[in-house]
Parts: sequence; structure tokens; C-alpha cells
Amino acid sequence: MNVEFSPELEAFRREVAEFFATAPTPAIREAGRKTTSVFAPFDQCMAWHQILYQKGWAAPHWPKEYGGTGWSVEQRFIFAEEYRKADLPPLLPQSLGMVGPLLIDLGTEEQKAKYLPPILKGEDFWAQGYSEPGSGSDLASLSCRAEADGDDYIINGSKIWTTYAHHANRMFMLVRTSTDGKKQAGITFLLLDRMDYPGMEVRPIYGLDGFPEQCEVFFDNVRVPQSGRVGEENQGWSVAKHLLKHERGGGNAASPTLMRYLERAREAAGQTPSPFGGMLADDPVFQRDFGELEADVISLSHLEKLAISGHEIARDPAFPSMNKTINSELIQRASVMMSRVSGVGGLARQLEALRVGSNVEPQGSEFDLITMPLYLNSRATTIYAGSNEVQRDLIARSLAAGA
Amino acid sequence: MDFSYSQEQVMLTDSVARYLEKNYDFDTRKALVASDAPWSADVWGQFAELGLLALPFSEEHGGLGGSISDLVAFTRSFGKHLVVEPYAFAIMLSGAALASSANPKAAEWIERIVSGEAIAAFAYEEGNGTASPGMIATSAGVDTDGFALSGEKRIVIAGGDADVLVVAAKHEASGKLALFLVDANADGLSISPYTTIDGRSAANIRFDDVQIGKDAVLIEDATDTLERIVAQAIIVLSAEALGAMGALLEITADYAMTRKQFGQPIAMFQAIAHRLADMKIAYAKAMSTLTYTTALANSGAATARDIHVLKGQLGKLGREIGESAIQVHGGLGLTDELNVGHYHKRLLAYDAIFGDHDYHLRKLGQR
Repeated sequence: MNVEFSPELEAFRREVAEFFATAPTPAIREAGRKTTSVFAPFDQCMAWHQILYQKGWAAPHWPKEYGGTGWSVEQRFIFAEEYRKADLPPLLPQSLGMVGPLLIDLGTEEQKAKYLPPILKGEDFWAQGYSEPGSGSDLASLSCRAEADGDDYIINGSKIWTTYAHHANRMFMLVRTSTDGKKQAGITFLLLDRMDYPGMEVRPIYGLDGFPEQCEVFFDNVRVPQSGRVGEENQGWSVAKHLLKHERGGGNAASPTLMRYLERAREAAGQTPSPFGGMLADDPVFQRDFGELEADVISLSHLEKLAISGHEIARDPAFPSMNKTINSELIQRASVMMSRVSGVGGLARQLEALRVGSNVEPQGSEFDLITMPLYLNSRATTIYAGSNEVQRDLIARSLAAGA
Repeated sequence: MDFSYSQEQVMLTDSVARYLEKNYDFDTRKALVASDAPWSADVWGQFAELGLLALPFSEEHGGLGGSISDLVAFTRSFGKHLVVEPYAFAIMLSGAALASSANPKAAEWIERIVSGEAIAAFAYEEGNGTASPGMIATSAGVDTDGFALSGEKRIVIAGGDADVLVVAAKHEASGKLALFLVDANADGLSISPYTTIDGRSAANIRFDDVQIGKDAVLIEDATDTLERIVAQAIIVLSAEALGAMGALLEITADYAMTRKQFGQPIAMFQAIAHRLADMKIAYAKAMSTLTYTTALANSGAATARDIHVLKGQLGKLGREIGESAIQVHGGLGLTDELNVGHYHKRLLAYDAIFGDHDYHLRKLGQR
């Protein structure tokens, strides 16, 4: 056992920090500071992705042969830490974190050659078409239909909660190709080359924070080639389950982001008067509550470091569910802490001031500008990627199965 | 002990509820919030017509001499309909401050307020921690002709649309907290209006050496008055919050009974059923606390501690109910289209103003 970082690693840290201090444009930095969701502002996020690609750092978690960095576990953690310290917008997870790794594992050579390079370069952005109006937690009940017709499928139905579909140029989705047998047995995993197929319509949904982050996608006799299928027909559920490990499994550690939230909260608390005298940061009740949250974030960070270094905990069948439950609830708690510091400062609805490039002055501080949208947006973390109720069922089931 | 509402109170409550059912559905309210208007002049006019604007004022002020339980009875439906009109702020707070003043100008303003033709905004909150009047830093310097006000007020409800401001500031000569009447067009005022997360019209207001006359003093030593009127406003805002909580409980239980996953209503799953049960328990606690505190206040027996219990509990319970309602609704609960999130935002705003639950619970624990 050893947790020390060698001088080489410290040099690596300086190299990363130096790059983050010089490479991002002012708009990218602003987008990072104004990120109030897992999903950063799209345009600046993709611009930053392309800059990272030029440097060779777009996909640290990919195998080197596909454009990954070949970094050690320690290097990846240092990279993630410096990334958050610099308040840079996180890259979007759907392409780099989900469909990319899936294709590396299960795609055909043609699919890999066609789709991986533009994902890596930040030219393509993929939407994830899973949930449907009638199929959320019970995803396997999905009913968006694909019928084989020659070399094509004809798709009818709709998807919902398709994050950033209005920005996407490609989409991966689950469709129903059979209604025989178990519901899981008739699902197929499809890659769509375009978002503008005839009969396809994307409609943004406005969230509580006032932003159109989610979308509905409608399919009316949309004809797509069967060559976009991953795996066999009716075997899509196992493909999706494989991908889910990437989605929930913490390929991207959440703790550096959480640490940064806490730093920002503590910094703001140092400038916020407490009604009990002095500054909030010096208030023992605040300190105790803050410490409780901070300890949980630090424990998550330890868990993530163990997992990324190959510790057996990461092979526990319940690990993805535990990881998702812990980090989603911590994001919510951190956002509540930030809102508590902002207090009434968070009550102004400030959509325009929050836009990147806006010249509208915020009411109050830049911290006050982000706390409420972040709080509202983070109510989604315990719902998306399998609600925490479902995750707890899975964790309990793993105990019953003796894991 | 009797915690029931009188026949008159039930009648008034029913007529307010009927009016709002008919004229204040969620879509109408949404269009109103999206419009340039800070609130609906028609609705405000109707409130005047129904006697709501006159209700809390004494008969000598042209009012109806209503009690706090009269107000609690009908403002619950303000919460159910997420009313954005500034009743608790313009009538309860500014109005009550004016009614407590011996300044002859105050009576003139009350007359115009009761008829619905003027709005007085209550400039009190200064940002974090103005949970008690003692935290106020805005100052009133004394000069030859009167006073010079300096400081900044935040989240002044109706602050961008008021005819006059009732301003709490520290009287520099006496060191006491005083209330002043300030014309909304006075030189040196910078009013920066915005809409709050829960759809109300508000403003941050900066006072840069705003000159006001000696006759602008409403109350020279206003700490006791402020504590009393803020406590009453908290009770009324708590009634609104309870109305929002009740709506959330009902909407969420209905949804859980109809939404099916894994072949059955999600309310049948224990994880959801227990969450609904906790929401119901939270509502029962909030309802009891509000009702009992109202009865105490009605007989003038509500202490500062009772107000800490009320605001601390309802602030906390409201957040719990709101967060649970969103969780049970899943993605739908996070959309702007559904009313659930809007109720939650009203409850968040309620918790934040006049001291959040952390503040009130701690005050309670301090004894």
C-alpha cells in the first residue's frame, strides 16, 4: 500500500495545471464557472473538447490504441483534480463516456472506424435514446418499435429525457424489435447516423432551472439502415447493460467536482455574514454540517480511488449502483449546502445573466448566480440513469444473492 | 380549545377559493409570470372587491378589522394557486407598518392601498441573515432638512412596481431601527427589478445618499413593531406554504396511483409508498403547527419561540415534501411544464426569506 505521488507525478501535475491555465479561451472558462449541471453549456464544451483533442487529452479513459492517453491511475486522478480546480466545463458523457467505450468493447470494425475518430475529435455529439414516456425505471418495457424492411428498420414511437438531443448529430437508442417472450428479449440497440432523418422530430423540454437540457424525440416511420445495429437483433438489452456499467460505474470520478463545490461554498461562506455574528464560515453549526458533508465527499473520493486502481470493490456486482447512489445524493447535498450559503441571494431568476457571453450583470455574486439552478438541476441526479429507488433494490438484491 | 374556522371565515375562504379556481389556473398563472406585468391588476382589483385588501386594517383606517385567523383561512388557497400578487408583502408588511405609524401621511397611503390604487413595497431584507431586524445595516444619516439613506435592500417584493417604499434603516442619531416612507422615484435610488424563482416580482434597491424630509419618519423606534409585523407576515406566508404542501401531497399521491411501471402503480412499491407516507406525516405536522400557532396569535399569545417553531418546521417540512414530490414524479417533476416544481420553488422561497429553517431551529434551541 502506498498513496504517495512520485516527483514525476508532481511534474505531470504542473504540466496539466500549466495547460489548463493557458489553453482555454475566456468563453470556455466562463462556461466552466457557469456550469450548473452534469451537462456543461454545449458550444463551449465542444470547443474545449477540440482543444483537448489537439493536446491528445480528450479521452484519458480510452485504450491508447483508440486515442486514449495511456496514463496511469494516478495520472488520471491528477488530471481530474486539476480539471476541477481550474473550473473547466466537464466534457459531455454521452459520446466519450458511453457510446465510445461501448463501441470499443462491442462494435464492429466498420463501426469503430466510422464513429470513434469523430467522437474523439469532438466533431460528433451523440444523444442517448433510452427512456420513453411509459418506460422510465422499467426501461425494459420500452415500446418504440423498429420493424425490419429489407436492409433497413422503420422506427415508430418516441423517446424522452434525451439530454441535448437538440445539439446532437447522432443518436444511440433502444428499440423494440419483438414482443415475443420476456420484455428484455425483444430489444435491439441501434446507432443512428443523423438526427434529421425524414419523420424524426426533436422537441426540447424546459427544466425547473429554465433551461432546455432535456428533449423528446419523435419517430414517424423513420427509415434507418440495419448496419447501425450493435450486437444481434433482440440482444440489445445485454448491450445496454454493458453500457450501463460505463454510465454508472464511475469512469468519471465525481469527487473532484464535489470537492470544488465545497470549496466554492466555503469560500462564499467566508464572505457571508451569519445571523449569529461573524461570518458563516466561522459559525460552529455551519462548520459541523459542512464537515459532515465534506467527510462523505472524502469517503467517496477514497472509494473512487480504490475502484480506479482495480480494488476488488469495483468487481462487486452492486458497485455501479452503490457508486451512483452515493455520488448522486452527494451532488444534491452539496447543492443544498451551496444554496444555504446563498440564502435569499439565490431567489432571483437570472436566465440571461447565466448565459455564456451575456453582458447582463448578475444580481448578487457569481456564486449566487449558480446556486439555485444547480440545486434545481441536481434534483435529477437521483432520478436519471436508474432512479435511486431502483439502485437500492439492486444493492439489496446483491446481498440476497450473497455478494 | 377550538381550532375550527368560523362560519364567516369559511364563507370568505370559499369565495376566495372559488374565484381562484375560476380565474387562476396553472396556465393562466404561467402566462402572467411570463408577461411583462409584475402581477395581474385584475386579480388585485378583485382582491379589493372581495375585501381582502381592507381585511387586516382597523375600521378607523377604512379596514375590516380582520384577525390573523381570518387571513390564514383564505391565504392557504394563495399557496394552492401559487398566487404571485404581493399580498403578504404589500398589505401585511407595508400596510401593517403604515397602520402602526402616527405620521398623517401613513393614513393617506393606507386609504389608497385599501382601495387597490397604490402599492407600498416593504424594503427590509438586506441579503443573508436579515432574519432579525438587528441585522439591518442600511443607515439614515441626519442632516439639516431630514435624513440621507444609504445602503442596499435585496429581494424587495413589488420593489420595481411600487408607488412608495417602507424602508427599515438605522437612525444614526438615536442608533435605533426606524421606518421611513420613501417615494419610489426619489433621487439616488437605483432599483434593479427581476422575477423570483417562484414567479413574484422583486427588486434589489440601492440607496445612495437618498435625501428624505423629516416628515418621512413613520416610526422612530421600530424594533418592536418590526418584530410584530414580521411575525404576522410569517404566519400568513406559512399558510401559503401549507397550501402548496397540501397541493403537492394530493398531486403526488394521484400520480403514484396512476403511473405504472413493472406492471403496477408505482404507489404499490414500498420505496414509493413509504415516501408518500412520510409526505403525509410531514403535512400533518405542518398543518397542526400552523393551526395551533394561528390560534395562539389570534389571542395575542404567540411568542417569538412559537414563530421559530412555525417557520423552522414549515421551512424544513416544505422542502422535504417538495423534494419527495419531484422524486416520485421522476423526470416529469423536473419540467417547467408541470406544476410540481413550481410548488417546490414557492416552498424554497418561503424557506429562504425571514430566516431559513436552520436559523429558526437554532434560535429555538438557544432558548
